This record gives sequence, C-alpha cells and structure tokens, in this order.
Amino acid sequence: MAHEDHGAVYDLLKSRGVSRRDFLKYCGSLAAMLGLSEAMVPQMVAAVESGTKLQPALWLNGGSCSGCTESIAQVDTPDVASIVLDLLSINYFETIMMAQGDDAEKAAEETIKEGGYILIYEGSVMTGQDGNALVINGRKSTEILAEAAAGAAAVLAVGSCAVDGGWVAAAPNPAGAIGVQEFLTDEGISTPVINLPTCPVNPEWIVAMVVDVLLLGKLADGSILDELDDFGRPKLIYGQSIHDNCPRRGHFENGEFVYQFGSEEEKKGYCLYPLGCKGPQTFTNCPIVRWNSRSGWCIEAGSPCIGCGSANPTKHGGNWVDVGTPFLNRHRDLPLGGLGNTAPGTVAGVVGGVAGAALVAHGVGMKVAGRMDGGADYEPMKAHDAKKMKKGGGE
Amino acid sequence: MARVVVDPLTRIEGHLRVEVEVNGGEVTDAWVSGTLYRGMEKVVQGRDPQDAFYISQRICGVCPISHGHASTMSAEAAMGISIPEGARLVRNIIEGAQFLHSHILWFYTLAALDYVDPVKALEANVADTYALAQAAGTGACDFGAVKDRLAGLVNNGQLSIFSNGWFGHPDYAADMPAELHLIAVAHYLEALQIQAEAAQVIGIMGGKFPHFMTSINGGTSFVPTEEKLDDVLFRLLKINNWVKNTMIPDTLAIAPFYKDALGFGGGTGKFLAWGVFNDPSFDLTSRYLPGGAILDGLKVEDPDPAKVTEYVEHSWYDNAESNLHPSEGEANAKYTEYNTDDKYSWGKAVRYDEQPTEVGPLSRMLIAYLRGVEPVQDLIDGTLSALGAAGKPEVLVSLLGRVAARNLETAYVGDLTVGWVTEVIEAMKGGSVDLFTEHEIKDGSGYGLWEAPRGSVGHWMTVKGGKIDRYNVVAPTTWDIAPRDRDGVRGPMEEALIGTPVSDVEKPMNVCRVARSFDP
Repeated sequence: MAHEDHGAVYDLLKSRGVSRRDFLKYCGSLAAMLGLSEAMVPQMVAAVESGTKLQPALWLNGGSCSGCTESIAQVDTPDVASIVLDLLSINYFETIMMAQGDDAEKAAEETIKEGGYILIYEGSVMTGQDGNALVINGRKSTEILAEAAAGAAAVLAVGSCAVDGGWVAAAPNPAGAIGVQEFLTDEGISTPVINLPTCPVNPEWIVAMVVDVLLLGKLADGSILDELDDFGRPKLIYGQSIHDNCPRRGHFENGEFVYQFGSEEEKKGYCLYPLGCKGPQTFTNCPIVRWNSRSGWCIEAGSPCIGCGSANPTKHGGNWVDVGTPFLNRHRDLPLGGLGNTAPGTVAGVVGGVAGAALVAHGVGMKVAGRMDGGADYEPMKAHDAKKMKKGGGE
Repeated sequence: MARVVVDPLTRIEGHLRVEVEVNGGEVTDAWVSGTLYRGMEKVVQGRDPQDAFYISQRICGVCPISHGHASTMSAEAAMGISIPEGARLVRNIIEGAQFLHSHILWFYTLAALDYVDPVKALEANVADTYALAQAAGTGACDFGAVKDRLAGLVNNGQLSIFSNGWFGHPDYAADMPAELHLIAVAHYLEALQIQAEAAQVIGIMGGKFPHFMTSINGGTSFVPTEEKLDDVLFRLLKINNWVKNTMIPDTLAIAPFYKDALGFGGGTGKFLAWGVFNDPSFDLTSRYLPGGAILDGLKVEDPDPAKVTEYVEHSWYDNAESNLHPSEGEANAKYTEYNTDDKYSWGKAVRYDEQPTEVGPLSRMLIAYLRGVEPVQDLIDGTLSALGAAGKPEVLVSLLGRVAARNLETAYVGDLTVGWVTEVIEAMKGGSVDLFTEHEIKDGSGYGLWEAPRGSVGHWMTVKGGKIDRYNVVAPTTWDIAPRDRDGVRGPMEEALIGTPVSDVEKPMNVCRVARSFDP
C-alpha cells in the first residue's frame, strides 16, 4: 500500500522508529488481544494511517479514589504512554496532567469548545450536599460533568462508581452518589454512555473501546452502541459470567470445593463457591483478560470473586456492595443486578438468559456435590458442610 | 499582597485546593482544602467485620493495600485474632510492592514535571546525554528516540497530558543542562513500565492492583507456589536494580540544581509514624520502619494511639463536639461555604498530642534514623554527604529533604521486600507455610495502625452482635492536609507552605512543589 498522507498517528509511530512491519504486528497483537478477527487488521491499519489528528479526550474525576487512573497505568498493550501520547490527546487528566489550577481548567474549556472529544468519567457523580460534596475550581462537579458531557461525542463511564455510584452509593449513600447515565438522563442530556463496571475498571476494556472508536470507526457509524446490552455495557466484555470462563470450573463440576481458608482443599486450588464466590452472578471476562498486564486475577490469587463488576445503572441499590455483602457468605438467589425489577425486554432476554443458564449450570454442580436445597437468600449450612467448614472463613 | 489559588492541584490522588497569601515574593499564609466528601465510614457500618477490608481500601486507589491491611488489623484486634508467620511475610511483600509502585510513580509521573521541563529536553545533544548518564551513574536508553518522540508531540501541536504546562518557567533550574532534562524525560517514560511491574507483584499475590483481595481476617488467602514466587522474586529484583541504578542516581543528579529547596518547605518539624512492615514481635516500635513521634527537636518517643484527636471547627461538619478521639468522633457532614476565615475543608484537623504532626516518608525515615536502623542511617548519611550537609539530618526538614527521604525509602523497602520473599522460599523448603488462623466472629473493639506510602493510617473498629457497630478511619493525607484547629494553628502542609518563594503569582511553581512533596 502506498500512502502519501499517513496522518499524525502513523507519523508519530514512525518518528519513534516504529517500522511499518512493527506497526502491522502491533495492530495484529491488538486484534488478538481484543478477540477480533485477523481480518479486522487492515481496517485498523487504514483507520490509523488516515487519521489527521489524535482523537481528543477529557478524563474527569468525580467522587473517585483515582483507582481507575491507577488501573489504566497498569495496561498491557499498548502501554499507557502510547495511549496518552500516540492514540489519544487526553487534554485534561487530573491525576497525571502537567498543568494545574486555572491552566488545567482552560485546557478542558478549549477542548469542550472545539467539540468532537470523548469524555472518560471516573468516580461517582456527587449530588450530595446540593452538589457541594465535590467542588473543583469553585464549580460543582455536577455542573462540570453536565457541560462536558453535553458536548462530547460519547461518554465512557469507567469503573463501577461511574456506572451506578459503586461503593460510594452503598447504603446509606452518605454523599448522594449516582452513576453518570442516571445523571445525564435526569439532566436531559442525550450523549450516549458506554458503561464499563468493575472496581477499578479493567484497563484492557478501555483500550478495547479506544480501538472500537479510533481504529474501527464504530462510534462514527454508531455500531458501537448496537453492541451494548441494556445496561449500556459492551456485550463482548460483559456477555459471559466469570463462572463460565473460570479455570476452576472443572472442580465445581466435580464437586471439589474449598470450605475453609488455610485448608488442604485451598492448596489444591478447588472451587471457592462455598466461600462466597460471586463468579456465577458476575458478568465480566476477567478470567480471560486478567489484571495487571495479565499477571494475575482474583480467583487465581486465591480469593473468591466479590462481584465488583455488578452494577445496575437503571435502579438504585444495585451497586456491588449492597448486592454482594456479606461478601464471604455463600449466596443464593441474588437479584442478578435487579433484572427482575427492570422493564422487560431485551435485558431479560439477553442478560437474563445468560444468567439463567449459568445458574442452571451451577445448580448441576451443586447437585453433584449433594448440596442443593430450597434456595433462601443465604443457603443454610448443611451439617456435613459445617463439619468441614469450621467457623471463621466464610460465615 | 495577593491571594493565589491553585485548584485543582493536579498530579495527586484526589481533589485538593491550595490557597496562599503572598507578600514580598513569599508565602505568608496558607489554606489547604480537601474538596471531596464521600462518607465511607457510614457505608461500612452495619456490615460484617470482613466486609470492611474490601470496602475501606477503596478510600484510596493509590494506597489501597495499606488501608486494607489497617482494616484487617483492626478487625483482628477487635476479635482477638493473631496471624501466622507466613501471612505476616505475605502481607509485608504485598505492602512492600505497593511502596515501590507508589514511590516510583510519585517521583517520576507526579512530581518530576515540577523540576524537569520536557521542552528544555528538546535542546539536548544526544551524544552528550549518554556521556552525562554515564557520569551520573544512571541508566541509559534510546535517548534519540525519546527526543524524537517528544519533538513529534510538540510539532504535532496536540500536547495531550502536557497541555498548558508551565514550560520555560523561571523556577526550573537555569543551570540544569538540557541533557539532564532529557535523561529525566526518558526515565519518566521508563518509570511507567517499572511501576507497572511492581503492581504486577500485587496482581500475582493479591489478585489485582489497585484494590486487592487476599489479606483477609486471620491471614491471607494467597497460597505461595514455586512458580508464583519465582514470578514475584524476579520482578522485585529487576525493580530493585532499577531503583538503585536509575532512580537514586537521578535524584542525586537533579538535587544539586535545586539546593535552594533545602531552605523552605519544612513545616511544623513535628512528626508521627505508626510504623510499617511487621517483624515477628508485631510490636509497633520494632517494625522495619518503626513507629515513633518527634515533637520537640530531633528526639523520638514511642507513639500512643490514645493521643489522636480531630478538630472540626474549620471543617464542613456539624458535630456537637470537637477534639474527640477518632473512635468517638462523629462526622455529620454539612456544607456551608468555602470561607478561609471559617470553614474551608472536608478534611478534619487531626492532631497528635494536640499538635500538627507531619506523616509520610520523611517522618518514617527520620524516626528510623534516630532509632538506629542501620540501612536507613547509611542511606541518609550518604545523601547528607552528597549534599554537603554531613552530620546534619535537620536539613532534611525541607522540600528537598522530603523528596529525598521518599526516594531513599524506596531503596530500603526494595531490599526488605526481596528479603521477605527469600524468607518465604526458605520456609517452603522446610515444609509448610502457615497462612491462616481459624477464628470465631466475636464482639470487641480494636484498631489497626500502619503506614501507607504517603503516611500513617489508622482504622478503628467496634464489632457488636457480629456486625460492625462503629468504624473510623484516619487516612494519611488527612494528617498532612489538615486545616486549622480550634486555636487557629495551621496543619502540616499549610505550615510547610509558609516562606515558600513565589516568583510569579500566576504560576506559583514552588507552592505546587511543596504541596506535592507530601504526596497528598
């Protein structure tokens, strides 16, 4: 392919000594990482090479702990420097940007004036204390969000806090935390919102969205929105439960469980379901994408999943803390993100269908293990479980 | 006289507003405001004692490990649980990895741009840069490619995270060579990789970072295997090597150009540390970085958690009483307005023995130095000699001293962390490693006192009827960004800002440097 005008991104890569061969390899590894077909690679290459400028973006922090910013710094491929220097021009990014004070705010103002940017929002929307629970540069953070979201091409709500308030919204929700989607609906702002729950966000998912928007043009043609479920989550990432892809799934099927931390069963790496694992109810691809540049993830490190990716932007009380505590109790009949209480339609059909299938599957596992019962909120402990499960670890 | 405001103070965790009064080119008064209220303590109350570990660590996405450990220790103290030797080591390793991660991230990603001008780096001669790197004993990499990358960014006109930076600011050391700026920019990029490798240690042992999973009440649910320890050890050795051969030499190469920063930014001169990294005794004053309080000159006394109180006269809380111990304190949030003469922060004025004490690496390193921790004495004495201040540890009570103390602590913690991994490996050779203590849920009260990279952290828990009845946290930054107390006495960061030179009231670089030096 001959290219007269390669565009800024390609020029930048070239200036870094990246050859065309390296660049194709890079696009190939991105595609593989994202589970895209190799057939997508030429499309990605063309998209990058034809770009005339970097995609502008703003990264705003609401009621956050900066953990999602920390998380993007732990991304695998491309590295974080490439994301902020070669793929996106993130003109406002409170935790790492060079500017401060009024000059930082001006960088955001100029970007908003020009338009066409992606807004990445981290943290809860702080409506408490009449919006004074978070004030930045003399402005309520809710006003800042409303202005920035209204002019954005799309909003990425990263992390459970931005999706539905997260732990900050857990009862009694002292600071009036809500998610971005609910806030924008209340304000009558129709900018599309893409929700990426878990606490913090998994950085590989942000990269996936950047690739969708930037390289595959899925925001420009609107197809990115068609690929979201009714909670505004990309189906590619949130379509299957952790249980579906868990490497310990075989032990579940065999009825081989850990009943007690510090036990022989724990050393053997058996299934953590009796210790409260929320893998069956939690819909993310953590077992596949893993965390911290793929070095590990919760269950591999020996911890039951606590369901930090459970989030419901359509209903209060669906945050992962209110749904999941007590975290180490074995759960039964969880509300599954409140699906039963939302408007019927594709949610129940798509997400509920998968959830239902997962629950049937784990019902089978429990039956094999001889541990089926009536299904109270918390499964009563069986006598033979109690013998194995001495007090302390789980209940 | 001018009032100067920096809001938001970027490149920190969270939202901070710094306001100063400038007279005759220096700061004569200061007000520091935490502008976010979330109310985590109320979220935890009424839940299971174990749940606090998972929830409360999410106060801070940069130091969740330390909050998680303090929380677990508070639950264990409340319920009378002791943890086995293997769990002590595993927790120390995970905490150590977070210290490495956090300090590397702070120096390069957050603070470096206050001392290093990326535009100045464009003037560097690449060949001279290699020569300078060799002379400084610091790491060399493809400096030409870094320079080209930087030029590409600048020529492209889209500066991304560098938009509206204070390039060419007169407070950048005029005599610092462009080549040293380029070295620092190259290592700024390299540090992004190294901090990630430190976080990967937590990914392996804790499930993920930020927000980890394994330090549960009674011990740890991480089961060490040869393969995982191997993955951890070789990452730590690489990081350790980088800290000693890049981060420390960079610090020593840049510091001489900012010697004026030994002359301001000191603050109250009073320090507190609960201590961090347990030895087998679990005693606060025997920790690898021991606990202590410095209240009068450079003399250490043992810390007493009963002496902590919090004032709310200048904070947006409508409490009936002030100056209460954290385990008794209330937090009835009620915003009024931002008014430096009245209430101006969501932070409470936390005090030790009624005094504003600084917490963080400077505090810990001074206390370890004065308590005779030999590796710390060697590191500090070597640095004092390099700065021409041999035998004068008091010069460390300054902006430059606070920066240096953090970087020296990184080297010490790196060695310690490798050592703990080796201990686990040795224990595995001898058979099994005990990781968990079985226990009953029972009622009681307790606290966990520990250190985050940025300073002392305390969690207080009361369990009643098997549930958390009271929960209170005093976070590290709360100490340092504390507002005035009842008597109008300034908090540690406010006090440290007094006397800071301001060359340009529109761009108060030194004010930002001093505030950031606390890693708030």
